[in-house]
Amino acid sequence: MSARKGVIDPAKTDTQDMFIGWAKAPVVDRRFLLGALPLGLIGAGGASWLVASELEDPGAGAWLTSATHKVTGALVNAPYPMLLVSDPAAPFGMRTVLIAAQGKCNSALKFADKEGLPVEASGVLIERKDRRMLEVPSFLDEWLTPVLIDMPGSVVMPDTVSLGPAHLAGTVMDSKCFFGVMRPGRGKTHKACASLCIRGGIPPSFWVRTKDGRESVLLMTDAQGGPIPMDILPLVADPVEAQGEIVRVGDMLQFRADANAYIRI
Amino acid sequence: MGHQYKAIQWNGNKIVYDLYLFAFVAIFIGVFMFVGLQTHASGHSADPVVLAIRALGTAAFSLLTIILAIGPLARMNKRFLTLLYNRRHLGVVTFLVASAHFGLALFWYHSSGPLNPFVSLFVSNPLYDSIPGFPFETLGFAAFLIMMAMAVTSHDFWLNNLSAPVWKALHMLVYPAYALLVMHIVLGALMTEKSMTYPIMTAATFVGVSSLHLIAGLREWGADSGMKQLKEKGWVDVCAPDDIAEKRAVITPLPKGDRVAIFRYDGKISAVTNACRHQNGPLGEGRVIDGCITCPWHGWQYRPDDGISPPPFTEKISTYNVRIEEGRVLLDPKPNKPGTRVEPALIPGAGVVS
Ligand code: HEM
Ligand code: FES
Repeated sequence: MSARKGVIDPAKTDTQDMFIGWAKAPVVDRRFLLGALPLGLIGAGGASWLVASELEDPGAGAWLTSATHKVTGALVNAPYPMLLVSDPAAPFGMRTVLIAAQGKCNSALKFADKEGLPVEASGVLIERKDRRMLEVPSFLDEWLTPVLIDMPGSVVMPDTVSLGPAHLAGTVMDSKCFFGVMRPGRGKTHKACASLCIRGGIPPSFWVRTKDGRESVLLMTDAQGGPIPMDILPLVADPVEAQGEIVRVGDMLQFRADANAYIRI
Repeated sequence: MGHQYKAIQWNGNKIVYDLYLFAFVAIFIGVFMFVGLQTHASGHSADPVVLAIRALGTAAFSLLTIILAIGPLARMNKRFLTLLYNRRHLGVVTFLVASAHFGLALFWYHSSGPLNPFVSLFVSNPLYDSIPGFPFETLGFAAFLIMMAMAVTSHDFWLNNLSAPVWKALHMLVYPAYALLVMHIVLGALMTEKSMTYPIMTAATFVGVSSLHLIAGLREWGADSGMKQLKEKGWVDVCAPDDIAEKRAVITPLPKGDRVAIFRYDGKISAVTNACRHQNGPLGEGRVIDGCITCPWHGWQYRPDDGISPPPFTEKISTYNVRIEEGRVLLDPKPNKPGTRVEPALIPGAGVVS
């Protein structure tokens, strides 16, 4: 009879010198580390290369922070802050430039008393394909200069043209991140941010894509054309569908539907 | 120097360890940012801040995976003790990288909005009643709190002041934290990204860590279960003195679940608890060095006959009574109070040295 059942003899499998932290490492351990440590670094680089290279396309859009951009046009408050710029070269002879405050609080922008006023605004341009937004500081005198020159077309509110009822499926995006501040500014990992931006008054866009890759970006309003209520927040960034009406205001397509018309798919 | 938390100090091995750790994190994040910032084929380029959030999160999760793998690896192969030795710094660095991930995510996604960032973290995605829609950030936050508690109490000062069982329980929370983080990834990044690389990598790390623990655990469980039959009181017949290698120990489980390390050295036999006073390292896997039992984890030492650390240290572990009868080592399963001196059993014919 030798050792009783259950007795472990570590010396059987482990015959080498022991590594003790406060002493010089034994030769076996040095040899082990000489191989293992470089392998670890290569593994770290390889794993992070793999993760980084497989990330989704960050999407179109740019946030041109390196320069200040000047836009001259008429200030409009509703349904969201924007500038209407006359541009004979553009389709329908004008361009809409949405206005967003720095950060996520558009409600800090207050210029109700300047509705329709021709101004020169300076800020940072956010641009995604033919969609534009100007990011400006909260204090008006830091970015807004009234201009007195005559600007034909700019002070005239464009007509609202109905393109008829439509049933659309897509995603509710916060226009600021989506137009280029965060790339990628979409998907579940961006849901909380997008919802916070829309809560802060950043205009929401409805991003509609067809199977063959064509896409359309529509500014979202309620059924009457006013700002969309906060009931939309839980649905932000998720795939949804809604019955509504498409209208064109100048160069901008808008989707009119009440928040409760949106259904998660 | 009566405080045990001063027992471990800076030394060459720790500096090498930390430099290496730094290089590891730098390479991980550097490669991630370099690759991620390349313009995609579509001409689109990623936002550096979003990329940094991802790089830091991925690095922190990888480090935590390594931390959890080192324990069972060191039980299976002693060479991994070199990595276990300074695991606490690894833990603190992991916490710092995770803090940077958290801080940047909070700043980029939740700050300068209409809500307090910490409120936004919990209410901006309200889909708590949905599994695929669940606000994954809250899971990361819960894991972060656990990691913070562990990092803050990682110093031996706390081990001393919280008492070993409380400290150990606190540090066992690393497993729930890891589970929370796996869900943080599954319900976050995996819901957004389309490449199959991510589910495969996440599953591989999770299965890898779990099976390492399972394998290491099964080995010890197999040894323990043999002992379950041993119900009778009185002394336990462990083995013959020659079954123990010189300056080494065998480990025997006791019916109550304790483990005893029985050392042979210089023609004598002494028995002490298998659990190191420091962080429960397996003393029986250590050696007798300079006349002292030396723990394989961080090198704490105890005299074999009374279980007291050699001066200037004063740490104490439990000793057990041993005898040699008819060529067998017999052990009294009742532990003595830590620091109780027990006359070593002399091995007949061994010719006691010293
Ligand atoms: C403390 C609260 C935390 C918050 C608020 C948080 C937030 C986030 C967010 C928003 C993302 C998505 C990033 C993006 O795709 O843009 C993310 C991803 C991730 N997080 Fe966290 N996180 C937290 C804690 C942690 C911790 C403690 C770890 C790991 C130790 C961790 C590991 C990860 C990983 C691995 C990813 C996936 C990275 C990727 O997209 O490739 N997170 N986290
Ligand atoms: S020296 Fe740290 S556990 Fe023994």
